[in-house]
Amino acid sequence: MSIDTHSHHDAHADGGHHEPPEVVDGRQRMAIWLFIGGDALTLGALFFTYLYLRGVNTSGHWMSMVGYPGPQLPGGHTWAYYTGQESLPEATTVVTGPLSAGLNWLGTLVTVVSAGFIWAAERALRVAKNKGSFTLLAGIGTLVALVAVFISFHQLAAVPQILSVHADNTVLAFTAYGSSMIIIIGSGLVHLMLLVFLGVGLTLRSVRGAISVENWYQSRLVRMFWVWVAISAVAISALTTTINTIH
Amino acid sequence: MTNSNDNKKSLKSFYWLWAILTALGIAVSLYAPGYLMPESMSQTMHLSVLTMVVFSVAAAPVAAGVYAAALYILRNWTHKGDSVPAAGPAFRESGKVVITWTLTSVLLTVFLLIWGLGALAADSAGSTANPLVVKVVGQQWVWSFEYQGQNGTTVMSNDLYLPKGREVLFHVTSLDVTHGFWAPQMGTQVDANDETITDLHVTPNKLGTFDVRCTQFCGLNHAFMVTQGHVLTPSAFTTWLNAQPARS
Amino acid sequence: MTTTLEHKAPVIKHEGGGLARHQNFLTAMIGGVAGAFIAWAISHHFFAQDVRTTSDAVAVLTGCGWIVGFWLGIGALNAPLAWLIGSDQTRKDQLYYAGEDQGTKRYWKYCTDHKVVGVQYIVMTMVLLGAGGILAMAIRTELIVPGNHFVDQQVYNGFIAVHGMLMILALIVAVAGPWGNFVVPIMCGAKDMAFPRLNALSLWTLVGAAGLLLTTLAVGSLTMGWVVLAPITDQAGVGMDFFALAILVFTVSTTVAGVNTICTVFTMRTKGMTLERLPIMVWGAIIAAALGLYAFPYFSLVEALQILDRTFSTSFFIGNAGGTGWLQANLFWLMGHPEVYVILIPAVAAVFEIAAVMARKPVFSYRTAVAGMVGLAGLSILVWAHHMFTTGWAPTLGGPFMVTTELISIPTGLFFLVLIGTLWRGNIWMKLPTVWVFGFIANFIIAGITGIYLSDIPIDNQLHGTMFVTAHFHYVFVGSVLFGAIGALAFWYPKVTGRYLDEKLGRISFWLSFIGVQVTFLAMFISGLRGMPRRYASYAFIFEHTNFISTMGAYMIMAGMLVLMGAVIYCWNHGEPSGSNPWHANSLEWLVSTPPPLENFDVLPVVTEDPYNFGKELVRS
Repeated sequence: MSIDTHSHHDAHADGGHHEPPEVVDGRQRMAIWLFIGGDALTLGALFFTYLYLRGVNTSGHWMSMVGYPGPQLPGGHTWAYYTGQESLPEATTVVTGPLSAGLNWLGTLVTVVSAGFIWAAERALRVAKNKGSFTLLAGIGTLVALVAVFISFHQLAAVPQILSVHADNTVLAFTAYGSSMIIIIGSGLVHLMLLVFLGVGLTLRSVRGAISVENWYQSRLVRMFWVWVAISAVAISALTTTINTIH
Repeated sequence: MTNSNDNKKSLKSFYWLWAILTALGIAVSLYAPGYLMPESMSQTMHLSVLTMVVFSVAAAPVAAGVYAAALYILRNWTHKGDSVPAAGPAFRESGKVVITWTLTSVLLTVFLLIWGLGALAADSAGSTANPLVVKVVGQQWVWSFEYQGQNGTTVMSNDLYLPKGREVLFHVTSLDVTHGFWAPQMGTQVDANDETITDLHVTPNKLGTFDVRCTQFCGLNHAFMVTQGHVLTPSAFTTWLNAQPARS
Repeated sequence: MTTTLEHKAPVIKHEGGGLARHQNFLTAMIGGVAGAFIAWAISHHFFAQDVRTTSDAVAVLTGCGWIVGFWLGIGALNAPLAWLIGSDQTRKDQLYYAGEDQGTKRYWKYCTDHKVVGVQYIVMTMVLLGAGGILAMAIRTELIVPGNHFVDQQVYNGFIAVHGMLMILALIVAVAGPWGNFVVPIMCGAKDMAFPRLNALSLWTLVGAAGLLLTTLAVGSLTMGWVVLAPITDQAGVGMDFFALAILVFTVSTTVAGVNTICTVFTMRTKGMTLERLPIMVWGAIIAAALGLYAFPYFSLVEALQILDRTFSTSFFIGNAGGTGWLQANLFWLMGHPEVYVILIPAVAAVFEIAAVMARKPVFSYRTAVAGMVGLAGLSILVWAHHMFTTGWAPTLGGPFMVTTELISIPTGLFFLVLIGTLWRGNIWMKLPTVWVFGFIANFIIAGITGIYLSDIPIDNQLHGTMFVTAHFHYVFVGSVLFGAIGALAFWYPKVTGRYLDEKLGRISFWLSFIGVQVTFLAMFISGLRGMPRRYASYAFIFEHTNFISTMGAYMIMAGMLVLMGAVIYCWNHGEPSGSNPWHANSLEWLVSTPPPLENFDVLPVVTEDPYNFGKELVRS
């Protein structure tokens, strides 16, 4: 291999780690795109899980259990007595029903709004060169994301359970639909908590001067990921509020 | 240090080596599957062994070519002595060779595919209108087989009895974990899954005993989840079935 | 031709590092154990112990405590937390993290120097292979004669699973870990990986995951084969929880490493290093990294669902509550088949690289080599259901999956074309790395052809789940990948240590392993053909002879591996000095001094042609 060691103009007095910020930024954006790609595949696998379970509807248990009617519990829990107890009354089908579509879309809306604030914050810093607005908007965006976290918790708590009474033990179990919703909402929750971490970081760093009108690059990286989370929230709501019945 | 020697050698010994290894490979291919695999007791197993033979024969020249080339390279082009070898000829690309190689492997693959898909179709085509239905139930770690007896009764057995020459339809299921229902001499298997029934067809064409083994890891005694199968004449089978106590 | 870029180390008196000055492997272990204990105590306090799912929940939380404590102890969380509060690392801190002036102590630390990470990966691979190898010997010893004599059946079943998983993890990192980290950045002309801290994170996360995996052996193991498919997992104890968590953590490691490798190659190449001039090894590293990024999300999801089923009463894989085991099988094999090529492709690329240098010729048809690897990676995502031909899932899809699977023989065939073409008419330098390359060729053809049988449904219906399958993938993993990995070790060992891996010991190891592989796995093919299923703790008398032969062969492999391990350890300090470019190669890693200095290049080189022009003197203008 022919190499030429002189014509390279890069100065390396300090060992070469002081690369121009655009170069570092380009590299980091590529990494963010790759992480988003991996995350998108995970989301695809989640959708596969959801649609597969709904498609096969094993033993008719996608959203229901063939069991014995039991008392209704507050908080949306449906109790059913599953087969296996000789002495119980005649079996009927207990349907747990889908989760509230309104709450689902509300959570998504809040996530999208938080992404809007982060978008605006990033533009304020990069285009308008206004660091004060950036700090304020990033802080608000983070608080809005925190609201989405609470909505997610609320959604998780509302996933209906069914009481299964087997011959020898009694357990609360989620139907296939409930299970799928838990992993989908749970995964969204993990993303939202990551956003809150990043948002707190952006705000604090801006206050401490680690982010400035010259050094705005990290705000764009965070915005990219934030917008992706908002898009995936829309996709999740679109899927889980339309294809959520048995037939 | 540019090399004037392009290292070209007569390829005669390579072709000889290739031919000999191919002949050897084909001889083994024709003989080994039938010798090593269990005795065939169904058309399905016969097809499986035959496919092994055909694929082995098709693969023999490829494997022989690679081995012959590797041996030929070792014989002719290894550098002698402790010095650093001079540069070899710097050829980088040969469209002709790449295209020939790719086309050959495509043709071979297409042949294997046509044969394989044909064999697959031949195997699943044979379902008759009135097969003998046997329910196969796996549980840790025994097999049980349920037959339709006289007057709608159910007959259960821990050995598998089949009549010769009649198609059998197995409804395979499990009471607990996944098991693999496999009769080596019949040349076919399917998993026994809980809450699910999987189908398997086979037509025994030879009298005698065969093995039933579990091919999916199923816990502590997986290695001992074995039983015997028996292919009987149709009349002997009917006699056996009628002699079994019915289960309500 | 042995020109070396002299390195003049800038003398900077370090003061940085902060907390990292007190963090090392020991504090990581202490942190991990403390974290596990705290998590155990808290969760134990809040959950009653009599119901099954709660003991699983305690186990999962304990495992989480281990990994968080381990991360804290090693220093993985220093930088993210510092970022959060807006106090970034200074240049001095970065140099401290890169291990400047710390001697061998840096190998025990969260070191960001890619060469240190590479060496840590060598050690980690050897530890994993060693642990998996001990289990393999226990398994083969149990199978030496029919009946159950040496290893308790339940323990044996656990060994089968943990052996499989340890070896899979070891081989995923066997080439991409040491050489993807040590040499690939230098090959590109980069001063380090794109994200040095992520590099250290991937290594130490792997160590944490290995800790969790080995814990499964201590807590009742995992007795269902390495694929751990439901519903039998329902019968497993807490070992299953540690296993699932280990995989979740491991996928973090591979994802981070994959992103890092791709970004390094695409954004850190030096001037003139076009994609066509990349050493072929670099292509192998990025294709495998990209494929890993595709595959491992399924792996983490499948284990996450597994954990939820066990601790949170969901029913993804539970048949009588609306789930299905086939969901898990699909997700698992969506990961499982690409993963085979995540393992294979770096080994193949390393073999190409070695073949070109040792034959003193360019890689034959470089574009075919790259196309073959890309084609293999692309096809691998369309073939997963061939692992499910006999499960009963979607029999009508058997035909299409058979087609995609058999198409794999086309890119695989191209590998042989490239290898034979590269060696053909060369002046072949029969040194230790070359020997392993020829071993690779001999084994890989057997691995490939036996794969074609299994891709065919009528044959698979007979051979699925038998020892034939086991022998097939051991020809892939041991005969091909491990041989390629050892070739790569022999090839780049002098760059790491400045000394040759001993030629004589290396050849003894080669012949023991090569003959051992043929004896073990050819006999195993026969066991399978004669009808012996996999994962048997005991077997019928008709399989007696072939199993005895397999065990003897396995002992030969063990002897070969012990000789190799001895050579690797002995030669590290006592081997014959090699100089900086023992193979007279032209790619950039050979043009820097040995061992390469911190940040590799004092002045970044400019590349004007690919590294395979052996006829020319190295030109430095």
